[in-house]
Amino acid sequence: MPTMHLLSSDKRLPSRPGLYVGCQLAGWGTWTLVYLGLLFAQGEVLVDGKAINRQPGPKDIALVLAVNCIGLLVTHGYRAFIHRRGWSQLSPKALLPRIAGASLVLGTVWTAVAWPLVHVFMGRTEETVQINPATVTLYSVFNGAVLLFGWSALYFGYHIFESYRRSEIDRWQLQSTAKEAELQALKSQVNPHFIFNSLNSLRALIDENPAQARDAVTRLANLLRYSLKAGQLETVPLEDELRIVDDYLALEQVRHEDRLRVRVTVSPEAAAAPVPPMLVQTLVENSVKYGIARRREGGEVAIEARCTADRLLLRITNPGSLSSAGGSTGLGLRNAAQRLRLIFGERARLQVAEESPGLVVAAVELPLAPVLPAASAPRAVSSVP
Amino acid sequence: MKALLIDDERLARSELRRLLAAHPQIEIAGEAADADAARERIAQLKPDLLFLDVQMPGEDGFALLESLEAPLPQVIFATAFDEFAVKAFEFNALDYLLKPVDPARLAAALAKLESVSAPDAPAGDAAAHTERLQAQDKVFVRQGERCWFVEVRTIRLLESEGNYTRVHFDGAQPLLFRSLNAMEARLDGRMFFRANRRQVVNLEWVETIEPWFSGGLLVHIKGGPRVELSRRQAQAFREQMSL
Repeated sequence: MPTMHLLSSDKRLPSRPGLYVGCQLAGWGTWTLVYLGLLFAQGEVLVDGKAINRQPGPKDIALVLAVNCIGLLVTHGYRAFIHRRGWSQLSPKALLPRIAGASLVLGTVWTAVAWPLVHVFMGRTEETVQINPATVTLYSVFNGAVLLFGWSALYFGYHIFESYRRSEIDRWQLQSTAKEAELQALKSQVNPHFIFNSLNSLRALIDENPAQARDAVTRLANLLRYSLKAGQLETVPLEDELRIVDDYLALEQVRHEDRLRVRVTVSPEAAAAPVPPMLVQTLVENSVKYGIARRREGGEVAIEARCTADRLLLRITNPGSLSSAGGSTGLGLRNAAQRLRLIFGERARLQVAEESPGLVVAAVELPLAPVLPAASAPRAVSSVP
Repeated sequence: MKALLIDDERLARSELRRLLAAHPQIEIAGEAADADAARERIAQLKPDLLFLDVQMPGEDGFALLESLEAPLPQVIFATAFDEFAVKAFEFNALDYLLKPVDPARLAAALAKLESVSAPDAPAGDAAAHTERLQAQDKVFVRQGERCWFVEVRTIRLLESEGNYTRVHFDGAQPLLFRSLNAMEARLDGRMFFRANRRQVVNLEWVETIEPWFSGGLLVHIKGGPRVELSRRQAQAFREQMSL
């Protein structure tokens, strides 16, 4: 369990002296009172493990207090030992035999220290003489061990619970950080294959058609700048995104020439609708990759956008079939879907389907309303209990 | 040296053409925009060298190579950043250029190629063995994400697996989409020996030979498996080896 501390650099639990002292005094105090209460209630005195019928006197009370004070000191030393050996890092399975062993050893120590006291206080009474000292010692050690085992159970029980709680918090923190990082990574993805192919075409174009080459450089710069900036924005107006898509398609046209044809239909009210940056770009890139680049005859990529009362409807179509998208890992689409989920929760839809034979359609539905803050980048975890 | 440029993008081909202008020893015999056109041009022009794009519409560059009859021309791949392709190349000696092509890198690839292809088969022998693969000829094998350009002399053993042949060479034994009989017909009989129905061994890789049951032989191949020869094959083997 303690191994769940994924984020904290210091794996040890913080020491809290105030809490510890309070618990020790309260615990031992209660135990002593209960013990004394029992003595008075039963009208018996335990002398060296043997009950004798008489009312406890001040001597008896002092003895109980003294023995329990020694117990407190023994457990205090025990705690220092636990700290030094880092037992709070151990799993319960590794801990149990150690606790049992420690309880036995400390029970012996306790008895050894308390033994002379008993004699100082009690003197040699006729009762004690009659009892076998070995039996008395064993009885005392066993009693002490049981008590210390109980003490250990409380001590480690608290620590295990505390470390579990902290690991829960750490896990939350980690999850939210991972989510944030993921969102960043998903936002800015221009396919490197595309970039290098474009640069290659550009090299040829510089000699062949310098004006077109200059234009292509500008468009590539626009696209790269936009994709870098996309990491900082939750959504952009659709028209901004489409300007970049236009740059992208112009660059693909440099490569594929007349094999790539483009049709864009956008209603005026859709132009201002908020979309996650690089979303349309990713879908169009997919269309070109599977619908155009893989087909000798090429084809047309169509982009359509319109609005209903509260939703933006986007359609990106290309020739081809879903089954022929061999080698596709669907990574681009999965990323796009994941991004929509992170930003809009359940209110967005993304679907890719072969609508009619030979025509693949990516359909997106987004809410027109502003993004819910709760669904956006996860907050820091200060509010987690 | 006759070269064929294979790339689906016209500009990529024209860029390569421009880069190759600095290397007059390379004569550009033609261009092809896809695998089908490439096969046609290869049959017709018999180029010594292919500049080959990996990603093309229809069949990709690897599939084209797989479909070609050995001996293959020399091949230099040209690809834009593509993790998959680059990973495939890392396993073997295939040369590849990353687009946009660095002129210095191209010069290095061509220099390397010339140093390899310099010793040619003796002129008189050439006619008799044009259909047979020579020791330095290469076979292209692809399995999953890995691909190899295997020099015939490094092949230790060929094993029949139905319509396929398992090719054993340095630490790998991928399947080749050719039957063992078809492969054997292309191999030089002085180098490769038909040990039994399932196996053809490269004699240059034979390490030890032991007598085996009923007049047969057991042949150990360097770093490879053991191959059993029947009595009849053992007889033929002894005759061939005693030369």
